[in-house]
Order: sequence, then structure tokens, then C-alpha cells
Amino acid sequence: MALIEIKNLTFTYNGAEEPALSDINLTVESGDFVLLFGESGCGKTTLLRLIKKQLRPSGTQKGEILFNGQPVENMDERASVSEIGYVMQDPENQTVTDKVWHELAFGLESLGEKTDVIRRRVAEICGFFGIGGWYGKKTSELSGGQKQLLSLASVMVMNPSVLILDEPTAQLDPIAASEFISSVKKINEELGVTVIVAEHRLEEVYPAASKVVLMDRAKIFMCDSPREVGRRLSEEEKPHKLSLGLPAAVRLFNELGGKGECPLTVNEGKKYISGNFRCAVKRLETEQPDVTGEKALEISGGYFRYERDLPDVLSGLDLTVYSNEILCILGANGAGKTTLLRVLSGVKRLYKGKYRVWGKKLKEYSGNSLYRGNIACLPQNPRNLFVKNTVRSDLYEVTKLLGLNKEDGEKEVDEVCRKTGIGRLCGSHPYDLSGGERQKAALAKILLMKPRILLLDEPTKGLDAYSKREFAEILHALKSEGKTVVIVTHDVEFAASYADRCAMFFDGQIVSEAGRVEFFATNSYYTTAAARMTRPMYENAVTVELAAELCRLNGRGGDEA
Amino acid sequence: MKYFDRLHPVSALAYFLSMLLIAMLTMHPVIISVCYLSGIIFCGMLTGYKNLLKSLAYSLPLTVIIAVTNPLFSHRGETILFFLNDNPVTQESILYGVFASLMLMSVFYWCKNYSAVMTSDKFIYLFGRIIPKLSLVLSLILAFIPKMKRKFREIDEAQKALGIYASKSYVDKIRSKMRVLSILLTDSLENSVETADSMRARGYGLKHRTSYALYRFGLSDGLFLAATLALAAADVVLIIFGASSFNFYPALSAVGFSALPCALYVCIALLGFMSFFAEVKENVLWRLLKSKI
Amino acid sequence: MKKDVFAICVVIFLLVLIFSGTKIQSVDDYYLTHIDDIKEDSETVFLTIRCDTALDNWDDLDPALRYERYVPADGIILPRTEYVLRAGDTAYSVLDRAVRYNKIHMECSYSVNYSSVYVQGINQLYEFSCGELSGWMYMVNGVFPNYGCSKCTLSDGDEVVWCYTCDLGRDVGCEWGLMK
Repeated sequence: MALIEIKNLTFTYNGAEEPALSDINLTVESGDFVLLFGESGCGKTTLLRLIKKQLRPSGTQKGEILFNGQPVENMDERASVSEIGYVMQDPENQTVTDKVWHELAFGLESLGEKTDVIRRRVAEICGFFGIGGWYGKKTSELSGGQKQLLSLASVMVMNPSVLILDEPTAQLDPIAASEFISSVKKINEELGVTVIVAEHRLEEVYPAASKVVLMDRAKIFMCDSPREVGRRLSEEEKPHKLSLGLPAAVRLFNELGGKGECPLTVNEGKKYISGNFRCAVKRLETEQPDVTGEKALEISGGYFRYERDLPDVLSGLDLTVYSNEILCILGANGAGKTTLLRVLSGVKRLYKGKYRVWGKKLKEYSGNSLYRGNIACLPQNPRNLFVKNTVRSDLYEVTKLLGLNKEDGEKEVDEVCRKTGIGRLCGSHPYDLSGGERQKAALAKILLMKPRILLLDEPTKGLDAYSKREFAEILHALKSEGKTVVIVTHDVEFAASYADRCAMFFDGQIVSEAGRVEFFATNSYYTTAAARMTRPMYENAVTVELAAELCRLNGRGGDEA
Repeated sequence: MKYFDRLHPVSALAYFLSMLLIAMLTMHPVIISVCYLSGIIFCGMLTGYKNLLKSLAYSLPLTVIIAVTNPLFSHRGETILFFLNDNPVTQESILYGVFASLMLMSVFYWCKNYSAVMTSDKFIYLFGRIIPKLSLVLSLILAFIPKMKRKFREIDEAQKALGIYASKSYVDKIRSKMRVLSILLTDSLENSVETADSMRARGYGLKHRTSYALYRFGLSDGLFLAATLALAAADVVLIIFGASSFNFYPALSAVGFSALPCALYVCIALLGFMSFFAEVKENVLWRLLKSKI
Repeated sequence: MKKDVFAICVVIFLLVLIFSGTKIQSVDDYYLTHIDDIKEDSETVFLTIRCDTALDNWDDLDPALRYERYVPADGIILPRTEYVLRAGDTAYSVLDRAVRYNKIHMECSYSVNYSSVYVQGINQLYEFSCGELSGWMYMVNGVFPNYGCSKCTLSDGDEVVWCYTCDLGRDVGCEWGLMK
């Protein structure tokens, strides 16, 4: 008997006209690793929440969800708590208590376990996840990745038979994300726990999944093994929107028409290319970035630290941003990228070194002239920007603060809404938007300040591949208007696809900078999956598109031919 | 801090409360000296002797200042040293000042020791014994405060870099802080929905919730508690029977060395240095064990 | 840096202010070795300091003060003595001269409420040393003036008695103490 069986499920939220889920049929066997994948807002979260009794949203449900043959809504509360583990997106909000030990014990306390039992189970779980060292720590001292791992552990401590994860790595940096995913894999493989995970970042999860469910507009679009999904997607007439988010190997396979077995990992992708394609042409000619423009921002020999006794965060930093370019600054988590952005935005000042904006020293910008029509900064969490109840009134408020009259204000708001494509979202509450929409609305808000330079902090965090592309298109449109964009990110794929130039930030300095293709072609570890997959066959195929182009140029052949 | 780290919170709390009580109970110079010395020595044990020296660098001058302010206000005493604005400054009132400030300092150091040992975990545990719900609420609040603080800073910076209110006028500054607060409020409400979900998903609200405790009351905890209570009771009884009578004014009375006062001194010294020796014993045991390995 | 300099200046200024307003005397400077000689034409007053009430309320007395040197057996701290009356002398100034000459301890403070000097203690015997209603009072020619001792100007031949009360003056015959 299947562990979870979803039969003809249709679900409509109270007050909504369209169903959030329609006609869903899905069977999950015990021990499965199910990957749910789809655009934001396609109903993934609703589906996941419906399985967990405590989190079921209110609305009308048709059809049924059976857990061990029993409808979930009739499940015993206690059984639902312990049998079905649920991990959410935001590590901040999920950690409830002040100490790690208490967080781990929380679920067992709720279940009314005795102290001795809790002690044993917590000890076991610490051993399994290797987090014994944090036991006495405060949760506020943990990093985002550690917090998320703690959330996972504090759910696993209840011995669930199903683990549900709703975009668990969306707020994490790549390294923490892959660590988290490998823990989930370990749970699935070593404990046989059934895993249902909704994810946007597929490079690691996709190959591990035993079943991939593609969702599109409240429906299940495809449900099959990863290889089959890859193959079937390539057979679609025009490339499906969802295929953008797939792992590099699968996308390459798709781009090239998909013959043979679909590769899933970088390694398989490598074999696929060497097995099927020749490598006569090693590289493509790419444009060199234009660095002749005016210098928009320039830091030379910059030093910064937060307090006198703390180490330097920036030490001897040299960085030039030319006008009318998109520059991505990449670096590991905690390297000080956000600090760099704070310095660039003028919130923090260097204690040594020069910083010029359009050739003028920072001091020469009196009052807030630096922020009026000059520099604007999009923070990592765009929620920090919104004040009003609707997107439109929020935007309109800015124009009022800028001293525009009603008519001009309306005009300005319409203008930025058009540019960022958020016209249809104007009536929504900023908090109700999806990640990508929220990012666009925030961008609209800072565009009202008419900046010449945009500073963006991790704008792609938690976005699905399609939203990323939309966002990048807006940035390119802004660039063609003459704006300069500086992006701080650890999203390698995004930088490789959409930046003009990339710079690597490490140990308080910019250690390398080059045009995007050259940058990722010369890096051997810190680079895109496409670059890793095509090397050493091709030299500068840093994106899947470039790789596909090279493959096509070379033509089929290779080892087997 | 090996021994007290593991000591059951109830024993530790009883110990600190009795030390604080005795330190505040009398002005007897011997008792105050013992409380002060045991307080700073134990403080050095807990926080490291380097840190103790640092804190003494502040607290000793403060002791002196308090000691010399007393004669400015109190002119009692027979042994006059000089006259200040026609009022006598006496040796007795200076000594009184010294011991009053030592008493203050010993209370300060014992409080410091208390806070070094009684971490929030232990504190919450003690409260949880009395009101189980409260301990969870405390834990939630303690987790919430740093989150709020960080959030506030983030929002503040985001708003600043937006440049709407970056001007230097105070009105604008206040308005921008109000803005930050209002965002913080909405954001926290929104986030607390998710936090509540996370709690419910892990069974919060089910009946028969237990409260997990890190601490087990073992034999050594019991012995320590018994010793503490016995010594503290003995001290209090002896003090009530006048073993600690001592006058600073008008002339210093002699420090008693008859049976009763001596018994009191010994009891207080035992109680005061008990913590220190417990730690020392632990260290010595560790060394011995290590050398055997 | 600027702030530090400013803070140091303020501290120095305060110290100077305190020291300039402070008079420091050694014990020898304070006690008088010589007091005005009584000549034939000099105006004089008589001064007595007594604490017999403390003897009557021995049980209330602070145990530390139950000694002959603080409360003499006859209750007299300073027997009736004749002192030269200087121009403008008050009940306080005569007492001050007398205790300085006789090396008797005294503590007093200026009370803003009464705009007069208030005597807190003589010979280690303080207000409240013998019960809550105890303290020092003075009597001129058998009458207790209802104002501060430094406002009470004396004239030739006045009889000043400083007496310790344990009952707000009622035990030494003060009428207004009773009314209050």
C-alpha cells in the first residue's frame, strides 16, 4: 500500500475563485524521494501544507489525501505531529526557542515525552547530524545554514516517517544549501524516511530524487523519474518554461534535442558530451566588456572594519565600476560582500582609502544628495522596504516624500510599474507577493528615486529560474537606459548568464575581475555547472546556452562515433 | 568552571542566595572580609584571573571613593584625624566607609558570580519548576529579542540607503525611525505567523506537554545543597545570637575571638570558600586522572 | 579626543571648586588652647551641657554609648561655666567656642529649612541615639527658644543650657515640644 495517496484533489482557498490545486493525483511509496518543482505560486506549498494536518489552510477540498490509507484530516493529532515532519523556507522564523537544546527538545516536549526519553533521542539526533557541538549554543549565534539544519534535526527528532520540505534552501548560500541537501539525502538513504521536497535549486536534488513532479498552474504537468522527465521535456515542441530551472546537464540535453539517456549530474553530462560530440572548436569568440566608460564608482586602497578591535572586512580594496555596465561581485558567504555594498552605498565609511562617486569624493555629497538621483540600494530582504498596504500606495508614498504633486507622482508610478512589469500587482499587499514579484516591486520602489547607480544585494535569493530571467531582463532594459548596476551575489549561474563583468571578492579584496565568460572560464572550482561539465573539451562554455552552441558547432561524433 | 557548570541549578541558587544574605546581614569586619575575599577569588575562578584583575582595576578605585565619601557625611567617632569645614573627620567613619564599600563590593562580586553560573538556561529551568508555561515563554522571548534587534538594524540600513530620509534634521530622523518601527512591526507580525506554524507543526498545543530539563539532581548536588543549607542556617542562628555584634561608632569595638564569634567566622569561611574548593577539587581530580592516562 | 580633553577640564574645574570651598584644619588648629579671659568689664554668659535624660532612659540608649565617657554618671558633660560674650554671639557660637576649648566632640550641619545651624551630636551622643524622640535642645534663661541656635543672639548674663532630650523636649520641660 502506498504511504501517501492523493486522489483527484482540488483545493480552493476561501474567497478565491480559481482553485489553488486542481485534479491532483499522486502516489508516494514509502522510501520515495519526491521532488516537487514548479514556478512560484503554482500550488506547491498548498499541496505540501494539505498533507500536514496542523498546517492545513482553510478552503474547500474535493478528493482526498490518504496517509496509510486514512484521510489526513482524520488523523490523530499526535500521530500527525510525529509521523509527518515539516520544514519551512525561512530558517529565522522556524527556530522558536533561544537555545539549541531546547529547539531540539521542543517537539518531544509537545508530545509529552519523559525527560529520559528526550535526552536519549536528542543525543541520537545530535550524533546523526553531527551538531553535538552546538548543543549549548544560542540559536541566534547560528548562521542561516546552521539554523536550517537545526530545524531539520528538530523535526527528525520526532522520528517522522515522512519528511516534507518547502523550499528549504531558498534562503541559504550555495555551500550551506548543498550541505543541507546532502543531509536530506542521508535521511532518505540511511533511514529510509520518505522525503517530499519542493525546490527551485535543482542541481543537487534532482539527481537524488526518485520521482520528479512538475507542477504548472495548479496542476501536475508531469510526474516521472528524473531521467524520464528530462527526456520528456526535451520532446516538448517548444522549450517549456520549467526546463529553465533544471540542472545544467538536463538543460544541455534538452537544448541538443535529447537523444539517448538523459544525463543528470555534471559527471554524467561530461560523459554525454564527450560521448556524443566532437571537440574541434574549443572556444567561442565572445565580446570583451567595455571598460572605457566613465568611472561611476571607484574605491582605491579601501580599508574598513566595524570596530577598532575587530579585523578588517575590507583591506586594501581596489574596485572600479564603469558607467552603464552590470557588475557582479561574487564571493563566499561571510566574506563581507554585504559590507562592501554598505560602503558603496555610503551607509558605512572607509577608515582609510579613497572612495569616489562620479569622480567626486563622498564628502562633497552633502545631505542626502548621494541618494537623490544617484545611488540606490536594494537590500537583501526587500520586505524591509515596504511601508504601505498595497504596492501602489507604497510607491505613491515615495513620490510624495520626494515632493512631487499628485499628477506627476501618478505618472512616475505608472512609469516604473511599466518598466518593471508589476502593473497587475499594484493592488496586492507587498507581503503577499511571491519572491520574484516582491523583488520587482522593490526594484520599482528604488527606481522612483531615479538613481544612476543601482546596488543590489543578493537579488536572486529564493527566486525560481524563470523569475531570475525576468529580473535579469529588467536589469538589461535599465542598463540600456544608461543605468549602472552593481550586484553582490553568490549565485554563480545568474552572474554567468547576465553580468557584463564579474569580480571575485575574497579576504577583503577583489582578487580577480574579468568579463563574465572569461571570468568563469578561468575559474576551475568557483564556476558554473556548465563550465565544469564542458571542461576540458571546451574552454569557455560557461552557460548551458554557450555549451549547446559549441556542441552544435562541433557536431555529433565523439568517442563512440 | 567545571563543578558549578554541572551543579544542579537549585543547589547553585541556594548557595548564591545564602552568600548574598550573609554578605548583607552584618557589618562585622571579619565577616565582610571573608565574604569579599571568597567572592573575588571565586570570581577569578569563574571568569579567569585576568578578567578578575581587569574588574578589580575598576572596582578597587570605586571602593576607595565610596570609603572616602562616608567621612564627608558622617562625623561620628572618637579618633579625630582632622577637621573639614569645622566638622571632624574620624578614623572610625573612614573605616566604616571602607567596610560599607567592601560589603557593597562583595554583594557585587557575588552577583557577578551568580550571573556567570546561572545562565539563562538554569534560570528558565528554575522558573519552569514553578510555572512551566512561563519557562517556555521566557525562552521564546529570549529567542525573539536578538531577532528583532537584527531586523531593526537591517531595516534601518535599508531605509537609509533608500535615501528618503537621509537628511540630517532631527524631525526627519525621528520620522525615519518611526518608519523603521512600523515596518518592523508588520514584518514581525508576518514572521510570527510562520513561527506559530512551525510550533504547531511540532505539536505545540497538544495536551500533556512535558518540560525537558538539562539537569539531573544527583548525589553530589544533594550534598552540596545540604552543606550550604546547614552552614547558612548555622550562620544565621549565630548572628541572631549576637556573635557578630560590632560597633564602629563612637569607637571601634574589639573583634571578638571567643567561642561563639570564632564558630561564626569558621562557618562563614567554610561557606564562602566552599565554592572555590569545589572547583579546585575538580581541577586537581582532572590533573590526577590525566596523569594516570 | 576632543571629548576626553573636555572631560578632564571639567573634572579639574570641579576639583578646584570643591577644594576652594573646603576648609581643612588639623586637630590642633581646630581646638582652642586659649579662650578670651574674663575681665572686669567684659560681658559674660553661662553655659552648661547636660544629658541626664539619657540616664533616665538607659535602656533606650545605644549599647555602644553606655559608657561613663559618653554619658557621665551625673549627666553633666560640661559643668556651668562662664564665658566672655563677644559682639553678635549666638547660642551656637558660644557652644562652638566652648567645645573647642574643652576638646568636646560636636557635629553640626547647616539646615536650609530653618536657615540656622542644627546640632546633631555632642560628645558622640547623637540625635536618635536614645530612642526615636531624642536629640539636642537649648534653653536660654529657662526658656526654650522656638528657632535655630545660630539665630538666637545672646546678651550679658544669659544662662544657656544645652540639654539632651529623649522625648522631644517634654522630659526637659519644653512646652512647645508638647504642642507639636
